[in-house]
Order: sequence, then C-alpha cells, then structure tokens
Amino acid sequence: MGNEEAVFFSRVLTELTLSFHIIYATIGVGVPLMIMIAQWVGIKKNDEHYILLARRWARGFIITVAVGVVTGTAIGLQLSLLWPNFMELAGNVIALPLFMETFAFFFEAIFLGIYLYTWDRFENQKKHFLLLIPVAVGASFSAVFITIVNAFMNAPRGFDIVNGELVNINPLLAMFNPAMPTKVAHVVVTAYMTAAFVLAAIAAFRLLKGSNHEYHKKALYLTMKVGLVFAIAAAIIGDFSGKYLAEYQPEKLAAAEWHFETEGNAPLIMYGVLKDGEVKYAIKIPYALSFLAHSSFTEEVIGLDQFPPDEVPPLYIHYLFDIMVTIGVWMTVLSAVYWFGMKRRWAMVRARWFRWLIVLGGPLSVVAIEAGWWLAEVGRQPWILRHIMRTQEAATTSAHVDSMLILFSLLYLVLGVGSIVVLRRMFRNNPVEREIEDREMEKGGDVL
Amino acid sequence: MTHFLMFYAPFIVLIGGIVLAFVIAPMDEAVRKQIEDEK
Amino acid sequence: MTLEIIGISVLWTFLFGYILVGAIDFGAGFFNAYSLLTGRQRVLTNVIQRYLSPVWEVTNVFLVFFFVGIIGFFPKTAFYYGTTLLIPVSIGIILIAIRGSYYAFETYGTRGHKGYSFMYGLAGILIPASLSIVLTISEGGFVTMVDGNPVLDYWLLFTSRLTWAVVFLSISATLYISAVFLTWYANKARDVEATNLLRKYALIWALPTIITAGGIIVELRQHNPLHYSNIQMFWPMFLISFLMFVGTVWLLWKRRKYGLAFSLLAGQFVFAFFGYGASHYPYLLYPYLTIYDSFTNPAMAISLIIAFILGLGLLIPSLVLLMRLFLFDKDYVRGKGDYHA
Repeated sequence: MGNEEAVFFSRVLTELTLSFHIIYATIGVGVPLMIMIAQWVGIKKNDEHYILLARRWARGFIITVAVGVVTGTAIGLQLSLLWPNFMELAGNVIALPLFMETFAFFFEAIFLGIYLYTWDRFENQKKHFLLLIPVAVGASFSAVFITIVNAFMNAPRGFDIVNGELVNINPLLAMFNPAMPTKVAHVVVTAYMTAAFVLAAIAAFRLLKGSNHEYHKKALYLTMKVGLVFAIAAAIIGDFSGKYLAEYQPEKLAAAEWHFETEGNAPLIMYGVLKDGEVKYAIKIPYALSFLAHSSFTEEVIGLDQFPPDEVPPLYIHYLFDIMVTIGVWMTVLSAVYWFGMKRRWAMVRARWFRWLIVLGGPLSVVAIEAGWWLAEVGRQPWILRHIMRTQEAATTSAHVDSMLILFSLLYLVLGVGSIVVLRRMFRNNPVEREIEDREMEKGGDVL
Repeated sequence: MTHFLMFYAPFIVLIGGIVLAFVIAPMDEAVRKQIEDEK
Repeated sequence: MTLEIIGISVLWTFLFGYILVGAIDFGAGFFNAYSLLTGRQRVLTNVIQRYLSPVWEVTNVFLVFFFVGIIGFFPKTAFYYGTTLLIPVSIGIILIAIRGSYYAFETYGTRGHKGYSFMYGLAGILIPASLSIVLTISEGGFVTMVDGNPVLDYWLLFTSRLTWAVVFLSISATLYISAVFLTWYANKARDVEATNLLRKYALIWALPTIITAGGIIVELRQHNPLHYSNIQMFWPMFLISFLMFVGTVWLLWKRRKYGLAFSLLAGQFVFAFFGYGASHYPYLLYPYLTIYDSFTNPAMAISLIIAFILGLGLLIPSLVLLMRLFLFDKDYVRGKGDYHA
C-alpha cells in the first residue's frame, strides 16, 4: 500500500472511530450532570419521582459508559497506531493533559462503581448524592483535558523548533493555548445540552407511546428547561469561538463562512450552494460575519484570498457549519417555546405533534455534535498540527490500514446495535409504573 | 475586550450555565399544574 | 536515580497493576463462561459477579494509564511501536471492546444472557494473548528498519517458538492468578463449594505457568543472548519468585490461609515481573530503542511526575474507599446487601 493510501485510510478510520466514540462520549459527559440535577431536585423537594429518574438514568448510563470507555481506549491507541509521527511530536509537548485525562477518568470510574452499588445503602440520601459529584466532575474534566489536546492541534504553542529540534518546551503554555477556552467550554456545554435533549426525547417518546405517568411529564419539563439553558450558553460560547477563529485561524472561519474576499461590513452567508466558485441560493445576513468575528458591524474580516490555495480547508465545511448552527438555533427555539408554553398552559406544547418534535430533537442534537466535530477537524486541514505538521506527514507507513478499517467498522456496528438492543430491553422489561408500585409496596412493608 | 471574550468569558458562561441549571431545575410548578389539569 | 528510571518504574508498576487486576478480571470472566458450559454456574457465578461488578472499569484505566504514560515519558515509542503494532494492538482493542461492552450488556442489561457471557469470557482470555505479543516484539529480531521506517516481520513472529511460549504463559498465568484470588474471595464469602472448585482450578494451572515461565528464559538464550545474560545477573529475584510460587501451591494444597497464598502469588509475580523488567533495561525495543534515547524533554518529564504525584493523592484514597466498601466489606462479599441501581 502506498503512502497516500495509508493516509487516506488512516483518516477514514480515525474519522469513523471519533464519530462513533463522540456519541457515547457526549452522553458520558452530559448525563452525569443530568443525573445529579435530578437527584438534587428529588432530595430538595422530597419527590420520589426525581430520585427514580436519577436511578433509571444511571442504569441506562452504565451501558453507554461501557461503550464510551472501550471506544475511548480504541481512539487513544489508534492515535499512536495511525499517526505515529504526530504522537511522537505531541508526546513531547502536549502529553500532560493526556496524562491528566487518565486520572480524571480513573477518578470517575472509581466513584461511578461506588455510586451504582450503594443505592439505599446509606441512611442519609445526601451522602449518596455526594458520590455523584466526583463522577460528574471526573466526566467533565475528561472532556476538558482531551479537548485541550485538540485545541493544541489548532493553535500549537509552548515550544520552538530550531533546526528540526524541539526546544523551549513549556507544557503549561501548550495547555493554555488560545484555542483552549472557547473550544473546551463549547464542547462541555454542548455535551450537557445534547444529553438534556436526548433524555427529553426519551421522556416525550414514552408519553407518546401510551404512558401518561407524571414521572415522564416531570422528566420532560426538567430536561427541556435544562436543555434550554445550555443551548443558550452554547450559542453565546459559539459566538466567542467565532472571535477566536477570526484572530487565530482566519482561514477556518473564512472557509466555513464562504468568505472569499477580505472586506469590512461582511455579511454572514447561511445555506446556499457553491457553483463554479459562485455562491447561489444563499441567505445573506448583513454585517453578521463582522459582528461574529469582531463584535463590530463594520470591521474587516480576512477572506480566503489571503491564503495560498494549498492551505485552504475544504469548502464543504460550510454545510457542516449550517447544520450545526441550524440545529442549535432550532433546539433553542423549540425548548423556549415549550418552557414558555408550559408556564402559560398552552395546549400546543402538550399536543402530540409537538412531542414528536421533541423526540426528533434528540437525534438532531447528536447530528449537531457530529457536524460540529467534522467542522472542527476538516476545517483544520491540511494540517494535523497547524502550520507545524501536515496530516499526510503524520500518518503511519504501515500497510493493512484498510483491513483494520473493515474490522473496526464491524466492531462499531456490533457495539452500536448491541447497546441499543440492551437499552431497549432493559427499560421495556422494567417499566417505570411497575417500579414505582414495587417501591411503594416495599415502603408499605416497612410500616407494617 | 477580544482577549477577555476569548479567554475568560467562555468559562464564565459555562459555569454560569451550570449554576443556572441547578437554580431553575426545582421550579416545577408548571408541570404540577399540568398534572392537576389532566386529572 | 535519573528521570528516565523514575518514568519507566512508574509505568512498569502500572503495567504490573494492569496485569494483576486484569488477570483476575479476565480469568473470572472465563471461569464464569466455562461454568455456564459445564452447568456449574450455580456454584461460581455468584461469587464471580460479586467481585467483578464494581471494579471492571477500573481495570481498563490501568491499561490506558500505561499507554498514555509511555507516550508521555518516551514519545519515540509512538514512532517505533505505533508503526509496527497496527495489527496486534488493533486486535487487542477489538477484544477489549467486546469484553468491556458485553460484560456491561450481560451484567446490567440482560443478566444471565448466555451469548453475552460466552463472548466476554472468550474475548477476555484472548486479551492477554494478543497484548503479550508486544513483549515478544520488544525482545528484538522481529522488527527491521526499511527506508528509515520500522517494519514488523509477521511470518517470523508467528513461526517463532518464543511468541507461542509467551502467548501460552499469558493465558495460563491469567487463569492461575484469577483462580488463586477467587479461591480466597470465595472462602471469605464462606462459599465452600465455590472455594473447592476454584482451588482445583488454581492447582491445575500452577504447573503449566511455572514450566512455560522457565521455558521462556531458556528460549531467550537463543533469541536474545544479551537479555539472557542480563537475566542471570538478577537470579536472586527469580529464585525468590520461585520460592513464593512453591509457598502458594503448598498452602492451596493444604487448604490453609488462602489470603497468604494470594499475597505470595502477588509477590511471586512482583519479583518475576520486576526481575524481567530490570534485565530488559535499558532497552525498550532491542536493539533500536533505549529509555535514554527515547526520553522526553526534562520540562515535560517533571510536569508529568508532578501531575502523577498529585493524581495519586487523589486516587489512593478513592481506591481505598472502593476496596473498603466492596472487596473488604464482609456483608457485601457474603451477598447480604444488594444496593445496585
């Protein structure tokens, strides 16, 4: 196999692994916080339904964690297997957050084990709740540390290259690179948002499919409210990301927005298609790109004309940007209407069609996560480490990457189908109505 | 200003979001009303 | 003590942790599947699952810790091992993935599902086999440099007696370690039937383990004379290891002090593993890579060590809590309380 083929298949395999892992990773980061919120509400209001909500979410969460853990192990090893030259360099400069991530994950794993096996073991429920804090903190910090590594790939610093040698290495400077704050915050907050909307979709689906239990209504209201908060936060942080890009990675911003010529008063292009180098059928929002880039409606935004053609990312990332932003805005509007409608007792938000929209919002949020990561990764091309190392220089020289691609595709198929089957069976065999009855009978037994 | 928006503001918004989520989470009068309505 | 030595010692310790905890875990999964096949699940499943359930995720972290740490401390390993290990490690990943997820599917999803139990039992026992190939490759002779890139000779690797001896050792040691530990655990749970069965397994796997371990040392004489002569300098460690092995088997035979038997077993592997590691020094990959020419820069090394110490400050108390709640909690071990979510 020639080097070009090895590069191609390495890219496809990495993309496949990351695209699969990110679904479980996002749930893994977001759901612990949701469990924590539900249990907290349950203790505070002394409402069994919220406690049960936390308990049932936790049960489903284990399955997704298991797949997240093993695919995370896969991507961790694949980085070295497929991109050995990159990892050799990265190991010298950015190994610290990678190393810290294992600690965060270790911490989470230990307390998750304890949390799962100590339901009702403590007299005081608050003690059990406290065990959740290290789980949620560990999960979120895993995301923080890994995203720091990704941020480093976009804005490498903390070292110098003199005559091909790495010198003046400063691991902390490398960690706190300019891409880090916006990227980390955006990744974490969208994980919370996605987890909330996925759980909302499940609650709405149960309500549509015959159960009219108040448990699901409480779950739906809770998740939609929390989802709204994080959707708004995601949009605000997304705006900060635009300002970061304009300053440090203008080619990525310009390619994502199809901003070809450097100019002031720049409009933001949404949708549209590219035909023979011309943008057609697009919606132009006047001055919006200038504002996104510089918080001013008139300031100049650097266009693609400023870059040599072999350093411009593929232009199709604009579609990914459209998908991500559209879903983000849509989910914000949907959850805002729901929340407002519930307060005003509108019949609309209890209608079946509205609940179907909420169900659809779960998968849509996951699509937005995928589009966002593809945008982030493809938008960095042709670099694996911006202005330091090109992607093709980083790839393995080993043959057989193509056969590994087939093997891993099969693996992810098995894991994806397996996790869905198990989750469905788990909750179908133990519907919430029966569990609530069982628990009430247990309590009755105590009184007698 | 740009520096602030890029380095500190993202974390302020993130932490603010988490705190806000905990504050509004227990406010569930609307859903209690809904449950009463439908009884 | 140089930074290089500190780095490799930390990593070697974690690898040992993985081998010990992983062996207990993988062996337990295998015995569980085997007992389903022979209709003895009534005897074993309870004890095995009580142990496995809260700790499975922790096992995996030891491995992640090791490979992330080795890239951090010795970045050149990414280039040499990353390029050559694509196939063996990919297979390892797939086995780990099957093992981890199917374990969760069976334990939390559909308890008692036979297909899932077989899958994770089988995948688990193959993990040590596939990962142990890395140790074989590190002995040199299988990797050559072509145009400045390392290339692995698969034919040579799979026709080498050393490879198969190491594979066999990894499997039999896994079953041996696991059986000794579970004998002790079952005894603590006062489960006489399970104790007897597991004791029998431990005794069965003791002999093959020690014979292959000895055979590998002899095999190295031909394969890697330099390493072989280094091993002889460390003969006291291997002697202590052997005596501890004899102690374990004797205690098991006499049905006495299973806890001590397990401690001796752990000691046996500590001495053998660190004796092997010390004699491998300074090579990470014969003859291309030593810990000195692959070492990272001092700034990164020091920050990694500081992060490591801070991390341990957080982890050790948490691990102690985990063990006190599950491994050493009498009520939990005997199955008196079930507090699973």
